[in-house]
Amino acid sequence: MKSFLRRTILALPVFLFSLPSLAELARLGDEALSHISGQGGIYLSGDISINEMGGPVENSYFGRCDDADKKCGARFAYRLKEDGGWVVLDDIRGNFAFEGLTLRVRKVDSGFGGDGELFNRDVLELGLPNTVRFNDVQFKISSSSTARPTDPGFQQTDIFSVDMRGDVVMEGNLLVFPAGNP
Amino acid sequence: MGAPDRIKQLAPMATGLFCVVLALPVVADMKSLDDSTLANISGQSGLSVELDLGLTADRLSYVDDGSSIHLDGFRIGSAVDPSGQAFHLIRIDVEEDASLNLDYLVKDRRIEFGDIRLAGAPGVSMGGIFFDHSLEGYLNIRQGSSVGGAGYTFDSAYTMTGGRLGYRTNGNEVFLDDITMNVEALGVTLDVVGDTLALNAPRITGDWEVGAIRYSSNPLNHGVSVDSGNGQPLPSYGSLSGSYELSSSTSLTAGGRSGEGLRIDNETVIHSASFLYRDDGKALALRDITGVYRINDLRLDVATDWQNRPALALPLGSMDGEFSIGAIEVGGNGKSIGQVNVSFLLEDQVFNGRSYSNAIYLQGGGHPDAGPQGLRLATEWSLRLADFSYTEDGNRVIFSGLQSWGQGDVTVNVTRDGVTNDTEFFDGLRIGFEDIRAGYRINGLRVGSDDAPLQGGTELLLALGFYPAYEFELDGHVTLGAGGASGEGITINSDVSIRNGKAAIIAVPYDEGNGEIPQKGLWITELDYDAHVRDMTVDVSQEGLAVIKGESWSTMDIGNLRIGDKESGQSFGRFVIQKYETGSSMTVVPGGAGDVCAGGMGDSPSACAASGGVWEPRGEEGLTVRLKQVLAKAINEARKNSLTWETNRQSSGVGEAMNGTGTSLVLNDIHTSDGGDFDGDGVDDNSFGLRTDLSVDVYQTRVVKKEDGPDAMGVTGNRGDEKIMDGSSTAGYRYVSNPTLAEADNRPLGFAVKARSRFKELSINNIDLVHPVGGAQTAVYGVKMQNFDIKANLTATPIP
Repeated sequence: MKSFLRRTILALPVFLFSLPSLAELARLGDEALSHISGQGGIYLSGDISINEMGGPVENSYFGRCDDADKKCGARFAYRLKEDGGWVVLDDIRGNFAFEGLTLRVRKVDSGFGGDGELFNRDVLELGLPNTVRFNDVQFKISSSSTARPTDPGFQQTDIFSVDMRGDVVMEGNLLVFPAGNP
Repeated sequence: MGAPDRIKQLAPMATGLFCVVLALPVVADMKSLDDSTLANISGQSGLSVELDLGLTADRLSYVDDGSSIHLDGFRIGSAVDPSGQAFHLIRIDVEEDASLNLDYLVKDRRIEFGDIRLAGAPGVSMGGIFFDHSLEGYLNIRQGSSVGGAGYTFDSAYTMTGGRLGYRTNGNEVFLDDITMNVEALGVTLDVVGDTLALNAPRITGDWEVGAIRYSSNPLNHGVSVDSGNGQPLPSYGSLSGSYELSSSTSLTAGGRSGEGLRIDNETVIHSASFLYRDDGKALALRDITGVYRINDLRLDVATDWQNRPALALPLGSMDGEFSIGAIEVGGNGKSIGQVNVSFLLEDQVFNGRSYSNAIYLQGGGHPDAGPQGLRLATEWSLRLADFSYTEDGNRVIFSGLQSWGQGDVTVNVTRDGVTNDTEFFDGLRIGFEDIRAGYRINGLRVGSDDAPLQGGTELLLALGFYPAYEFELDGHVTLGAGGASGEGITINSDVSIRNGKAAIIAVPYDEGNGEIPQKGLWITELDYDAHVRDMTVDVSQEGLAVIKGESWSTMDIGNLRIGDKESGQSFGRFVIQKYETGSSMTVVPGGAGDVCAGGMGDSPSACAASGGVWEPRGEEGLTVRLKQVLAKAINEARKNSLTWETNRQSSGVGEAMNGTGTSLVLNDIHTSDGGDFDGDGVDDNSFGLRTDLSVDVYQTRVVKKEDGPDAMGVTGNRGDEKIMDGSSTAGYRYVSNPTLAEADNRPLGFAVKARSRFKELSINNIDLVHPVGGAQTAVYGVKMQNFDIKANLTATPIP
């Protein structure tokens, strides 16, 4: 059982964000897929985009994406000290497209070299699409003196930028299930 | 209609005939006559009776097996003068075929009951009903019926004008005002078949209009359109109109569910119908309605309910039917959302190990603090099976296998603003819920056809508060006030409390074709939910249906978020979600997403294809819901937006996790903002909120095989192949590596939701870690998200 859990933990930032500590994640092999109880579920095709043309704010800092003097991405800022500075993900934008993101509730009671039978639990399965097409996914990691870029005394240092494009292979399944004392 | 022969001495006879007319208002329908019709009436030797009728009775009683229901304060008289009489003119002719013909004219008549009481329920009553009208029409009665012999055949038609139908409790009234109606029913037959009275109406046609639905809180008003105090028209919920063509057969048999009573069986076919609700001239229209319903073994008894309370009981054996609404139009431009089909079966069924049936027990009293008059409907229902399908631009999605069950009391009062015994009341028609224990579930979605595989997809509608399964205990009220944001419309105030709720966020089918199985899913359980809404207006606008909330706040305390079984599934812990909104709104707009570049970017088919997307013209119909949630800054601990996640709770003696004993992560005082104080009032503006537009369509999508080899249905293909629907294939589809244009036209249909969420600024004041002994420690001193515009085009299909 423990070996199964050790082997199957997979960190995915989006799920770590929403389920920080108790949600354990696992990669499954084909053999597990043949023991699914419960049909239904969904197969999702489509795309998700963030600030494709810009966001709803237009001021001295934010603008439309065709305005080179303004930032058109989203901004996420937080601080860990009461009167401290702000850690910022700035100018977040991009587009992800995929076919085959699946979502369902299933029971794992076999496979995994015998660990599945011991595990014998229901899990939330997020079946990853084989390929995700990234289209100009970008953001900056920065530090800032104020939460809003329009606040008085605003100063910001961009530490580094990330820009991703092309196909990203994401195979397997992400399993989410409770552990520990609820 | 002339009246040459006035024989007032025959008043008793005329009264008797009038009573025939009165007693058969549905079966014997009537229509207006013009002079040319009158000129052709044969048998000129008839009688004309002119009558000014004023009739009162302190009490009319109906006794059933020793139990009785009393109609107090019965009156027939003038509608405009409480002490006056109603004018009647009746012309009686015997036709050449020996039929009896009654032509009649009734002016400004009111029929009313001041109160309705049940013996054995002292101190409470159901309230009063009044019905005003002027009638002009005829009733022709002849011997012989559909089965021959001793029956009768009726032809009838009438026009009703100046109608009012009202309900009054404790001095407050809600009534349909200015009702106009034309009805024609020809060839209605009445037979005695064995011990059954059989009524058959082969064709009933009519149209109707309600000029306003009015509310009065002034006890001095009674059945008037204008307030007696200020002379202003009473506020209106809006107006109604419609038309219909029906055929119907009804059987009436003596005998209740026990002893005396009445049994009713009925089958009605709706050949065509329409229904329009208008709000300041803008319509919500249901057009091209057709359908059929069958009522089997409906009984009428004076009996007691499951708590031994005296009641007028209406237990139902079963009822099934099917309806189709050809077009649902809303807004000022008459655009259609699409078509809806509903099939249903109300019948006894066992849910969760308990047998449910269908019955309503009418009682007096309503909410105990609203006054002695009111209506209480002790209700039990069992919706054994229903399918609801929605079709837009020719493509259909079916919410399959809907079941519902429940038991509890629904109260009805007409109330006015005020607080009595700590109960807050509001102006309007109050629908109360007391100890209702109920639930519903759907088996899943089917897209395209009835035999399509079950799939999920309701997960995409969670933003609208839609759960695929829900069990709950419900108390509270919804009060519907007259008048919207401006002019006509509806204003809603409500306080709702749910206890011991179990709602599915994701649910697998409860029946995969081999009988009922425990429905697994992702469940919020041990749910306590308190929600309050103030001054929420509902109006039909030029754009669609507009709902604007004045103020709303709620606490959703989820004892456990469980995976698997809703009773025994393992828990992620406890979640508490507090919401506080001011000025939030929702607009329902006809039309879906329109042209969409799915899986790519671009405003044209070529640009979309170049980015790897698929251009999808999703058509004119569909549904778009625009939500604006203005999350207000906290004003106190009860009215704020926050999210708490608690785990590691101590267990009670029976092994249940005790709330408040664990460690918590608290996202405190979440609120939206426009990003600054632009109006100079000292606080940040907050009018943009969190805006989410959801467009729902049924459309084709790309489904790509994820693994080599056979899928769950045994259909073989290679990884990356596309699923193409093909009726000649055994499974109804096959996999194709490079679809041709013709094959691409047969991509599978999916439940397509296009969502767009935007906000200018969303803040979290602080994120705390709370230990039950050590107290709260702030981990994050503020989160601020700005300038987000997130779009998602997602189409849900079954997992291959």
